[in-house]
Amino acid sequence: MSLQAVPAREATRYRAAETHDTVTLGLEPVDDPIAPHRPGQFAMLYVFGSGEVPISISGEPGGPGLVYTIRSVGAVTRALCEAGPGELIGVRGPYGTEWGVTDAAGQDLVVVAGGIGLAPLRPALLAALAARERYRRVTVLIGTRTPDDLVFAGELETWREHGADVRVTVDRAAAGWRGHVGVVTQLIDRVDVDPAATLALVCGPEVMMRLTARSLGARGVAADRIRVSLERNMRCGIAECGHCQLGPLLLCRDGPVISYRRAAALLTVKEL
Amino acid sequence: MNDAVPASALADHAFLRGMPADDVTRLARAAVAVRLPAGRRLFDEGAPASKCWLLTAGHVALDLHMPGRANLIVETLGRGDVIGFSWLSPPHEWQFGAEVVESAEAFELDGATVMVLCDRHPELGYQLALRLLAAAVQRLQATRIRLLDLYAVPSHDAGAR
Repeated sequence: MSLQAVPAREATRYRAAETHDTVTLGLEPVDDPIAPHRPGQFAMLYVFGSGEVPISISGEPGGPGLVYTIRSVGAVTRALCEAGPGELIGVRGPYGTEWGVTDAAGQDLVVVAGGIGLAPLRPALLAALAARERYRRVTVLIGTRTPDDLVFAGELETWREHGADVRVTVDRAAAGWRGHVGVVTQLIDRVDVDPAATLALVCGPEVMMRLTARSLGARGVAADRIRVSLERNMRCGIAECGHCQLGPLLLCRDGPVISYRRAAALLTVKEL
Repeated sequence: MNDAVPASALADHAFLRGMPADDVTRLARAAVAVRLPAGRRLFDEGAPASKCWLLTAGHVALDLHMPGRANLIVETLGRGDVIGFSWLSPPHEWQFGAEVVESAEAFELDGATVMVLCDRHPELGYQLALRLLAAAVQRLQATRIRLLDLYAVPSHDAGAR
């Protein structure tokens, strides 16, 4: 893993609008490329003149260039979402832990995403689908606010064609929506799960991850078979500044992906 | 298709799992297996409520009529869920509508027969009440979670990032 503190320059190759406030950016190196990423890792993206933010890598491992899916929530992410073709962006990383999707080889893989939480899960899912024969059931459960807030909507059918059972539920249906309406945890009750041979990867708002882990637990999936991706205020990315501390963990180094057995107690402590 | 339901099949439904065998056998007298094609309306808001369904496949949308607009789907239910609580309590009218979205299969229970069975066998009534309460609590908790609007941009995120 690179511990570089100076960003490598990358140029925007394409920008694809996912939703009204979320885009996927494809970048290509201008300087020496950063090290290849593993599913679940993140990078620090620097917008010159604006600032730096941690963004999960949403592209296929080993795919061309680097791909990031970004939601506009503030000044830096807004600038990233508006980056035009050829615009230079500083990139440091990749940092942090990975999903370890290959640990599910020979077993069932359950991917549970809430909102833009699907972005960091996408590399793990693509890796699993690229070696589909190594896994038993691959189930993808996605919860989102409305049908218009669904990211990677154009890919779901391809994932299904590659052998994934993909289900989407929305909090609020729009006219014409014929899919599920309700919270993502309700989908967990409706899919086949072999608790002793399941690896669950979960990413979304922390409350959603907690409730999802609880629902998986109720289906018999042990906490160490559930992995979650946690986010705090990542600044340096190299476990030096301490901004992303969560109890005994520095999430830029010890996370973002950790076992729910380790995360469970930390997620219920106020002000941690 | 409306077929009598073997007690063993009923006992396998998630809603009834763990119910004493005698009670399941009694309940089976009030149940028929039904196939529900996509697009069929199970009931409409305001109509008399006399049945409930234990879904074994497919999914069904609960909806609300919006004048001048398409019905608004408030929740979808699927395998393992129970549909229909309104037959239990006054005014015994459906509070929402329900339509089959994806071809479904279910055990259909006749509310009046179930009430008679519960009067005769209070232990069956107790077992059913426990399960209906658990399903109602689960539905309430899911609704509360949706009210949190978890996927909205948290106000503390809006700023420098």
